[in-house]
Amino acid sequence: MTQRAGKLLTATRYWPTELWANPWSLPRYRAAAAWLGGIVAGIALIGAGVGELAAWGDRLLALLGRLGLSAVVVAWLWLLVKLGCVLGVIVANGLWAVWWERKISAHMQSRLGPMYAGAFHGWAQTIFDTIKLLLKEDVTPAAADQVMHALAPVVAIAPCVMAFAPILFGSELAAAKLDVGVLYIFACAGISVIGIVMAGWASGNKYSLLGGLRAAAQMVSYELPRGFSVVPVLMFAGSLDLAVIDRAQAGYWLGFFPRWFVFYPVVGQLAFLFFLIASVAETNRTPFDIPEAESELVAGFHTEFSGMKWSLFFLTEYGYVLLSSFLLAAFFLGGGSAPLPFLDFIPSWIWMTGKAMLMMFVFLWFRWTFPRLRVDQLMDFNWKFLLPWSFANIGLAGAFVWRGLG
Amino acid sequence: MISYFKAVFLGTWALVQGLAITLRYLFKPAVTVQYPTEKLLPYDAFRGALIFDPATCIACGLCAKACPSACIALENQVHPETKKRVPKVEWYTLDLGKCNYCGLCQEACPTKPKSVWHSLDYEIAFSSRDEMVRCWKAGFPLGGRTWDAKKKAFKDPKSHISVRELPARKR
Repeated sequence: MTQRAGKLLTATRYWPTELWANPWSLPRYRAAAAWLGGIVAGIALIGAGVGELAAWGDRLLALLGRLGLSAVVVAWLWLLVKLGCVLGVIVANGLWAVWWERKISAHMQSRLGPMYAGAFHGWAQTIFDTIKLLLKEDVTPAAADQVMHALAPVVAIAPCVMAFAPILFGSELAAAKLDVGVLYIFACAGISVIGIVMAGWASGNKYSLLGGLRAAAQMVSYELPRGFSVVPVLMFAGSLDLAVIDRAQAGYWLGFFPRWFVFYPVVGQLAFLFFLIASVAETNRTPFDIPEAESELVAGFHTEFSGMKWSLFFLTEYGYVLLSSFLLAAFFLGGGSAPLPFLDFIPSWIWMTGKAMLMMFVFLWFRWTFPRLRVDQLMDFNWKFLLPWSFANIGLAGAFVWRGLG
Repeated sequence: MISYFKAVFLGTWALVQGLAITLRYLFKPAVTVQYPTEKLLPYDAFRGALIFDPATCIACGLCAKACPSACIALENQVHPETKKRVPKVEWYTLDLGKCNYCGLCQEACPTKPKSVWHSLDYEIAFSSRDEMVRCWKAGFPLGGRTWDAKKKAFKDPKSHISVRELPARKR
C-alpha cells in the first residue's frame, strides 16, 4: 500500500463519504454555527439599527426642539430622521437577506455558498455584489419605452418603503402611528403591482410582458386571502392599529402560556397559515414565483433590467419579505411580547426582530423546498381553497368573539 | 367531504415532509470542497501527470516504444572514454500535450521501482506549448522542468501540488 500524502496537501479533505458518517465533524459544526450566527447577526444588524436608534430618538427630538426652530421644521427634520432609519433597515435587510438566503440555500443543497468575501463565511459577498451592481452598465433595450422602463423600478420600490411607515419594530416602536396601519400597509403593498406591470410592459419583450401580467394576476388574487386572513386578528384585537394588535397579545393564559393570536385554537393557526401562504405568493417567491419563472420566462418582468434598476426590484422583493415577516410577527406571534413571563426583561425590539427573522427563515425555507406551481394551479389554490377557507375562518372567529373568547 | 379533507391533509403532510428533509440537510455538512484552499487527494490508481526519475532509469526505451501517442523521447548517456552507450539517460522528455494518460509507458517500464509513472497531480494546465514538454536531465527533480524557448533556460513547472513529494510511486 502506498502512503497517503494528506499532510503534504494543505488542508486536505478526502472524499466526503467519511464526513457524512460523522455527524460531529468540523464542517457540520461550521454549518450549524453559520446558521445560528446568521440569526444572531441578523437580529443584531436590524435590531441594533432600529431599536437602539429609537432609544436615542427621543433625545434627538428634544435636541431638535431646543434649537429654536419652528415646529414645522422640527417635524420635517424628524420625519427625515425616521425615513433614514427605515430606509437603512430596508437596505441593510437587502444585504443581509441575500447573503442569508444564499447560505441557507447552499446548506440545504449540501453546498457551502459564498465563502471567500470577508473572512467569515463570505459575509461581505452582498456588499461586493452591490458595488458590482452599482458599477454595471445600465442597458435599456431599443424596443423599450424609455421613460416607463426607468420609472418602473421606482414605482415598485417606493410603495415598499412607504409600507414600512407603521411597521412595528418593537412594542411601541414605529416610524408613524396610524390608526389604520394594517389597511395602509396592504394599500401600499398593492401599489407595487403597478411597478411590476409597468416593468413588464415597458421592456418591449414578450417574456417580460407575460411575467408582468402573471404578476398582476397573482398579486391581485392573493391580496384577497391575505386581507381576509388578517380579519380574525383584527376582530380579536378590535383595531387596525398595529400597536393595539401588539398590546392585545401581551399577557399569558394560566400565567405562562402566551396569548398570541397564533395560539387561538384552530382559528389562529388557520389565519397564520393562510397569511403566510398569501404573503409568500404576494412577494412572488417560490413556490409562487410564476412571474419570474426561469424555465418559462427567462426572468419574467425584470428580464430587461440590469444594474441598479434590476437590484431595485431585488431590494423590493426582500423589502416585502421583511415586511411580511414583521407583519406575521406582529399579527400572530405576539409582536414584542416575550414567549415566557420571566423573559420580559429582554427589550421588545429583540423579540420583534427575532420573530421576524424566524419568519424570514420560513420564507427562505419554503423557497428552497417547494417546486413552482403551474399558473392554473396557482389560481385554483387561491380562489377555490384559500379564499373560501379564509371566509370560513372569519366565521369561526366571529363565533369566538360571540362566545366572548376573543 | 371526507376525501376532500383527506386530500388537504395528505397534501399538507407531503409539504411538511419536504420541509423536514430540507431542514435536515441544512444541518448536514456540505459535500463540496473549497477547491483552491481544500484539495482532494485522488485514489492511488489515478493517472495524473507523468513523473520520471533519471536515477533509476536504465534508458531501455521501452516506454517510448509503448507510447501510443509518441510523446516520449530520450537519449542514452555515452561513456566519455569508451564512447559506448551506458544504461543511463542523457535527457528524457515527455510531451504532456500529446500524452493521453493511458499508463502504457508505466506498464512497460522494467525497473523496480518504476522510472516513469503517473503521479496524482491533476493540476496540469499550460499557458504555452513549451510548458507542455517536461524535460529531465541528471539532477532534475522528479516533476521535471520545462524549457523556456525565449529565455533559453529550464524552469520549474507551475503546479499547485508538489509532485516531487507525492506518493504512489508504482512498483
